[in-house]
Amino acid sequence: MASWTIYLSFIGAALLLAVRPRDMRWVRGLALGTALAGLVLGLAAAARYPADPAAPLIVLARARWIPSLGIEYYLAADGISLTLVVLTGIASVAGVLFSWNVERRAAEYFALYLALIGGVYGVFLSFDWFLLFVFYEVAIVPKYFLIAIWGSTRREYGAMKLALYSLVGSALVLVGMLAAYGVSGGQTFNLIELARGGFSSGFQTWAFPVVFVGFAVLAGIWPLHTWAPTGHVAAPTAASMLLAGVVMKLGAYGALRVGMMLFPQGAMVWRPLFAGLGVIGILYGACVALVQRDFKFVIGYSSVSHMGFVLLGLMTLNATGVGGAVMQMFSHGIIAGLLFAVVGRMVYDRMHTRDLADLEGMALNRVLPFAGLTFAVACAASMGVPGFSGFISELLVVIGAWKAFPPLAVLAGVGIVAGAAYTLRVLQKSFFGDHPRAPVEEMGRGQGLTWPERAGAVLLMAATVVVGLYPSLLLDIIMPSLQASWMQAMLKGGQG
Amino acid sequence: MNAILTMPEMAVTALALGLLVLDLWTPADRKGDLGIAAIGGLALILAGSFLFGAGAPQYAFGGMYVLDGMALFFKRLMLGVGVVALAAALEYSKRFAAGTAEYCALILLAVSGMMWAASANHWALLFVSVELMTVTFYVLVSFERTRMPSLEAGVKYLILGALASAFLVYGVALVFGGTGTLGFAGDSGPGLGTGSVLVRVGLALVLAGLGFKIGMVPCQFWAPDVYQGAPAPTAALLAAGSKAAGFALLLRVLLEAAPDWALEMRPVLMLIAGASILYGNLCAIPQRNLKRLLGYSSIAHAGYMLLGIVVLERAGAAAILFYLAGYACAVLAAFLVAALAFDPGEPEEIPALAGLHRRSPYLAAALALSMISLAGIPPLVGFFGKFLLLKGVVLAAFDSRSFGWLAGVALAGIVTSFYYYFGVVRAIYWSAPAAERPPIAVSRVAGAALGACLVGIVAAGVFPSPLLEAARLAAGALRIP
Repeated sequence: MASWTIYLSFIGAALLLAVRPRDMRWVRGLALGTALAGLVLGLAAAARYPADPAAPLIVLARARWIPSLGIEYYLAADGISLTLVVLTGIASVAGVLFSWNVERRAAEYFALYLALIGGVYGVFLSFDWFLLFVFYEVAIVPKYFLIAIWGSTRREYGAMKLALYSLVGSALVLVGMLAAYGVSGGQTFNLIELARGGFSSGFQTWAFPVVFVGFAVLAGIWPLHTWAPTGHVAAPTAASMLLAGVVMKLGAYGALRVGMMLFPQGAMVWRPLFAGLGVIGILYGACVALVQRDFKFVIGYSSVSHMGFVLLGLMTLNATGVGGAVMQMFSHGIIAGLLFAVVGRMVYDRMHTRDLADLEGMALNRVLPFAGLTFAVACAASMGVPGFSGFISELLVVIGAWKAFPPLAVLAGVGIVAGAAYTLRVLQKSFFGDHPRAPVEEMGRGQGLTWPERAGAVLLMAATVVVGLYPSLLLDIIMPSLQASWMQAMLKGGQG
Repeated sequence: MNAILTMPEMAVTALALGLLVLDLWTPADRKGDLGIAAIGGLALILAGSFLFGAGAPQYAFGGMYVLDGMALFFKRLMLGVGVVALAAALEYSKRFAAGTAEYCALILLAVSGMMWAASANHWALLFVSVELMTVTFYVLVSFERTRMPSLEAGVKYLILGALASAFLVYGVALVFGGTGTLGFAGDSGPGLGTGSVLVRVGLALVLAGLGFKIGMVPCQFWAPDVYQGAPAPTAALLAAGSKAAGFALLLRVLLEAAPDWALEMRPVLMLIAGASILYGNLCAIPQRNLKRLLGYSSIAHAGYMLLGIVVLERAGAAAILFYLAGYACAVLAAFLVAALAFDPGEPEEIPALAGLHRRSPYLAAALALSMISLAGIPPLVGFFGKFLLLKGVVLAAFDSRSFGWLAGVALAGIVTSFYYYFGVVRAIYWSAPAAERPPIAVSRVAGAALGACLVGIVAAGVFPSPLLEAARLAAGALRIP
């Protein structure tokens, strides 16, 4: 059933484009309904997982697609996929709710939005490399248009930069894919079979960095992260939420599912470098976020910093670190969505400024109390306060890193402190400025939050709190997946 | 004698001549019906071509003419291209003072030349079929006699085309001088050896002549000017048909007739492929004219397709065939929109496309799909074609490292091309139009032709297997030693 997340999203997009309802209620209703259906399907599949511990993979659909090249239409799911499918469901529902005020060409907006979601579901559920690549590319077009048409600051630049970075990454992945296909005998793109077949260590040594970097571009690996802040800032709110929340996870997921699963020995060889880049990303993102004057850029750079934890966790090559990285993907997806929702929708659409110096004089916590609460929760989760999802995931990553490279774990710990620093700074400046320039009653007139905003915020806050308080919900489906035979070689550092 | 094999070519030629004769008795206001008749006739011939099975190669005229799987594949492709080009011509010719029937007849003759080229198995037939195409195109390019750009394009095509023909015929003469025979050796004897200097120089000249047809570096200078100036249906036929015919001949010459020479020349061919990709893509970036942009991009696409030749394998040839079919669908759709979306005499500026999605959502969507397919984004056909071509090059890189840089250049070109193709899409969907313009009425014929192209772009992209199998079968007919 989980494969219907993909189909429903594309059907919803096609319906919106074909029918173009005049009535806004129909447009929004269709978009929300599609996103909700995806979330429900994802949750249902995750709740039943793992039905059988001996079979960590649920096959959803399998058919021959291009037989002469051994390409299959092969959809399947394990706990890692399902975690991210649920994340996509939550983020997409929240994104629709925070797009409630989009009036201009709304049918096209939501159609592109749903097409992007469909591509994302497709990547998370593909176990054929070619199919995964197709979905990965399909996602490029809608995200380009979402930013370039409905975006704000330097939108065309941001959109094109994002698209070109994605394409460069895809080009690297394509080379790795074709090479792996050729070396393995040109019979299959099936990821599990390729992983079982194994590759020579010489081949892995050069193929791993190509594929890993190709995917990691989209995960915001330093120094190829520069598309992320500009892209996030340029994008409309819901697209920023999806970009930071979900699209960056496409890259991290691909790096794990393809790069590390197929080339464990290559990962072993290269991991000091990529773990180091991950830590640089953590510290660099945090330091740059600390000095930004634009509210949205702070959040944009915080994404780079948080995704550094994902890369570090992946490169630990142990179950704790990799499991933590997957948790961090989920957690950051929720938190980034929340942060961008507050900045882009709740604050910017009302105050028409994102300059922290201006916001300081607006006493926003009194003008928009609910937004203040939401942002405080998001900041707490982002800093890794216990009780929120960010805590458990970053903790797992640091523990995993301690086992693998103690010095980097220490630096990552410093990164958490730096994260607290910029988060508290932005929280104070944006919402808790002391000296309102005008009476609060005057600024707050007619600016109450609408119900979709509240609903979206509650949904995201609930997700981060529930997972923070009861992380087993996710760990119980992530960890069994790491026990699968095809993941074991990776966790044994390529010795299997 | 197996003259019956040439039925399709004969039928197309007869259709062209019949059209010219009928034109004498057709009143001026009924000329459009002649175009419809031509489309119907060509579609019938296309349907009839499926009566021929792709069995063992059959020869006619003492081996001059061959009908094998590859020839059949190309003929069907060219007939399809011809049908769409005629539909575009029917629409476009409303802006001519006179000459609808002549224009359609010339298109038919060009198609017939391309079909002969697909079956050429002899240097003489190669030259004659190329001339039949080229001479027809001299007229087709400059058909809008009252428009300066069209005349300028015609003169450029004439001069450079004549130069290319001179190269070609001189090359053929040298090859004949070196070997004493005009037939492609094929399976009746060994391929052209690399021994004689005369033959080598001759083959290089032939390559230059054919390179003009496909628009590869360094024989590409005409392409942007001619694409820009020629009437849109002519440009469509040049891009989709003439290029395909050039590749049909190139495949026969390089892979069948002179494989040893091709192997020896492989580094040069790789250089040409890489240079074409870079030149086409980089020059397309600053273009403001849609047809000129397509002209530069056609150079880049010729470069991509040369990737299928340099690997010197059947799989590479199959990739070219697949790519040509996909490229034809996309580029025909683009030129059809170019023929419909602009007023007579108006230059096809990309900024003028602003607001097209309001004037005609169908045309806007068609042009956008065509651009996205040309950029190679899945699930459209352009992606899978590029995938096949790159597959050959990357796999070849395992044997010879020098293919590595070629793959790198090709990927860099593909990434670059995204920039300008999406510039067009951006102009359609969200540039603010300078002035409100009336909606565009799309006639039923043009709409159907455009629909056929779009179905091809999407269907062959989502389900590439049938077209891929056809291409593999056709390439299987190549007698690669």
